[in-house]
Amino acid sequence: MGSKANRLALDKIFKKYMMEILLVIMAIILSVSAHGFFTPNNLLSIFRSMAINGVVAFGMTMVIIGGEIDLSVGSTIALSAVLTAFVSNKLAGVGVAPEFAVVIGIAVSLLTGALIGFINGFIRTRYKIPSFIITLAMLNVIYGVAAVLSNGFPITISSEWYSFIGAGQLFRGENFQGIPVPGVWLILVFIAVAIVMNRMRFGREVYAVGGNPESARLSGINVNKVKIVIMMVVQVLAAFAGIILSSQVMAGSPQFGKGYETDIISAVIIGGASLNGGIGKTRGTFIGIIFLGVILNGMTLLGVDDYVKYIVRGSIILFAVLVNTIQLQRKDNE
Amino acid sequence: MSILTIKDISKRFPGTLALDRVSTFFESGKVNALIGKNGSGKSTLVKIINGAQPATSGEIYLDDERMEFSHPDEAIGKGIATVYQELSLISGMSVAENLFLGRFPMKGKFIDWKKTYDMTEKLLKGMKIDIDAKEKIYNLSMWQCQMIEIAKAMSTDPKVILLDEPTSSLSKAETEILFDLIKELKKKDVIIIYITHRLQELWEVADTCTILRDGVLVGKVDMKDTSKKQILGMMFGEVEVQRRPEDLVHEDRVVLSVRNLTMGKKVKDVSFDLYKGEVLGIAGMLGSGRTELLRAIFGIDKYDEGEIIFDGKAVKRPTPQKMKEMGMGLTPEDRKHEGLIQIASIRDNLCVASLKRISNGLFIDKAREEEFVWNQVNRLQIKFGDIDAEVSSLSGGNQQKVVVGNWLNNQPRLMMFDEPSRGIDVNAKQQIFKIMWELSRQGISSIVVSSELEELLEVCHRIIVMRYGKITDEVIPEGTSIEGLYSICMGGE
Repeated sequence: MGSKANRLALDKIFKKYMMEILLVIMAIILSVSAHGFFTPNNLLSIFRSMAINGVVAFGMTMVIIGGEIDLSVGSTIALSAVLTAFVSNKLAGVGVAPEFAVVIGIAVSLLTGALIGFINGFIRTRYKIPSFIITLAMLNVIYGVAAVLSNGFPITISSEWYSFIGAGQLFRGENFQGIPVPGVWLILVFIAVAIVMNRMRFGREVYAVGGNPESARLSGINVNKVKIVIMMVVQVLAAFAGIILSSQVMAGSPQFGKGYETDIISAVIIGGASLNGGIGKTRGTFIGIIFLGVILNGMTLLGVDDYVKYIVRGSIILFAVLVNTIQLQRKDNE
Repeated sequence: MSILTIKDISKRFPGTLALDRVSTFFESGKVNALIGKNGSGKSTLVKIINGAQPATSGEIYLDDERMEFSHPDEAIGKGIATVYQELSLISGMSVAENLFLGRFPMKGKFIDWKKTYDMTEKLLKGMKIDIDAKEKIYNLSMWQCQMIEIAKAMSTDPKVILLDEPTSSLSKAETEILFDLIKELKKKDVIIIYITHRLQELWEVADTCTILRDGVLVGKVDMKDTSKKQILGMMFGEVEVQRRPEDLVHEDRVVLSVRNLTMGKKVKDVSFDLYKGEVLGIAGMLGSGRTELLRAIFGIDKYDEGEIIFDGKAVKRPTPQKMKEMGMGLTPEDRKHEGLIQIASIRDNLCVASLKRISNGLFIDKAREEEFVWNQVNRLQIKFGDIDAEVSSLSGGNQQKVVVGNWLNNQPRLMMFDEPSRGIDVNAKQQIFKIMWELSRQGISSIVVSSELEELLEVCHRIIVMRYGKITDEVIPEGTSIEGLYSICMGGE
């Protein structure tokens, strides 16, 4: 009896920390096989490379827990990058100091993100159309707007300080490349979303709405408001990601962000969130982001072909969804 | 002429004997009514006849052939068709497609549409149903769908057809049309078994009536020489209604006034007052508009006209959110889909309605949450293994207590309970009644909708009766018998 109980407890721990365990195993394998994997600089660069997707993934976690999805975030990354450049150049053109013009550009981009999210959420709640199809359509609309604004070419940004947002390094030393600023954004967004989802009333409402919208409504929760707000949050974060990305190259291009939604949604799913809503953890998404970052980085170090990476990416999503679904089904049968 | 013979059928569920050696027979060319109050075992008997459940013991014969099924499909093959209360038609398909789904006439590898439509038209004409074979189901009204369901059942040329409360969601005029169809069926050599709640229908449509009570066959009578009083007596027997505690009195102050509330065809011109501390029951048959009335008051569904005055304030365009903030609560009829978040924990489910109360501003106060949760667990005696386990792991009674606890945590001044005792055990039922009385003593009013009339008689100060969306009567439990109340619900004298 005792050993059975032990095994059950072990089983439970394994299930709960499965992704962490897999992550550690993978990291060990890569440390041995991939030269240069286990160095501070490489690990920090994983952080930097995952920051853009990661920032959006935390917003996506809220959206998926709330029972929705947003496929248009990749296009918003492009639009926000283009818009920041476009607005700051236009303002600089009429004599505003570039350092200040870019601030207005950033503000306009973030507000545009909020507006897109509001439109997505409004159509979703007012007309009961699945967010999947709304955001699939918006993905094209937003990309189109970004392309029209920029005539299809990258627009450069000239404000010096702007590069700090995406390419800055903190505590840079002789043998240490410094802590990448985007990594700091990632951690800050993680903490903020974790607080909202675990400590705040709004987070509880998101879980309730995703778990059963009708029960939530009958319990006096404003379901529509919750859905609109989460759709806005993910878009604002996507706009922010666009700003980080454009700051890294000091330009905004409509080609930015293409296909990013795949990695973003994978990170959330790997983190254990259910596409049916109501289930998911902010911490899980954090693990999902690192997991994905480590795999992509490991493949690069091992010299894996870029096209093969697509196969791996896609397979990871399928695998993660399968594992989640099978676990849920098992629970149902118990 | 054929006969369906039921011989010593028993059905045992864990803890209860749903049917106890029931023996009877049903003849073709007659409408054989099967009646009994909730929990009498009539649905169980239907399920055994049509193969949805096996009997624990006993036998069923159709003429001389023993009927034994491991699956409902086998019953259909043997000529036993069932028309369920819930419609099973596919709304995007035509009448003909629905009728012959899965068994279309074929021409090689392709469906022979001409033949399908011809067969449908012939079938409908033969039953005097005036509906176009190509009409899509979503264009049909409820009673038309019900007729198509019957036509579908008849298209398999059954020897036995079971009609499970086909009129429960129909209006009076629609019911008449359906009866004409059933009378038409009588001309064919088919055994019609008609399950109903609505007593007064029996004299219009049935020839014989078989009565079950608490799983036992009470008798089988011919309609033409039986009175309503006799049937009521057989349905309910000698039951002593429990009475609510003596000290339960309500004040004269009105807390809720509903005036001329109308919502589509479901609720028509309903007006009533509710007093402080009163427990008010709403009785009525299925489809009488009880649930819809509660939903309209709580703002779940929008009503067309009328006024709701709560605590002296007229409520404009209610929503659940607004009504909650004003101090109302409602435990819905459909616990699983509307009352609980199945995948969430017991703990979380106990505080969904009271998130504001467990928060300081925007943040959840974990200590207060803990206090709220355990308050209700103790007060309602909710039994569970782990408070963080999914609420779906609980028994029906404990789930219902969680639904109630979720609302009590919001400290309502008026609670509405829609079918609070459905699917829960006796102990849980008593505990929920006690909560209603406890609330009453604190001056908190309740409105209770229930199909269990003895419950209403036990719990309430006053009972209003609804029929076809209207309030038709009002009674007080003192001096009212179950038979009497049942008869009023049916629209009798």
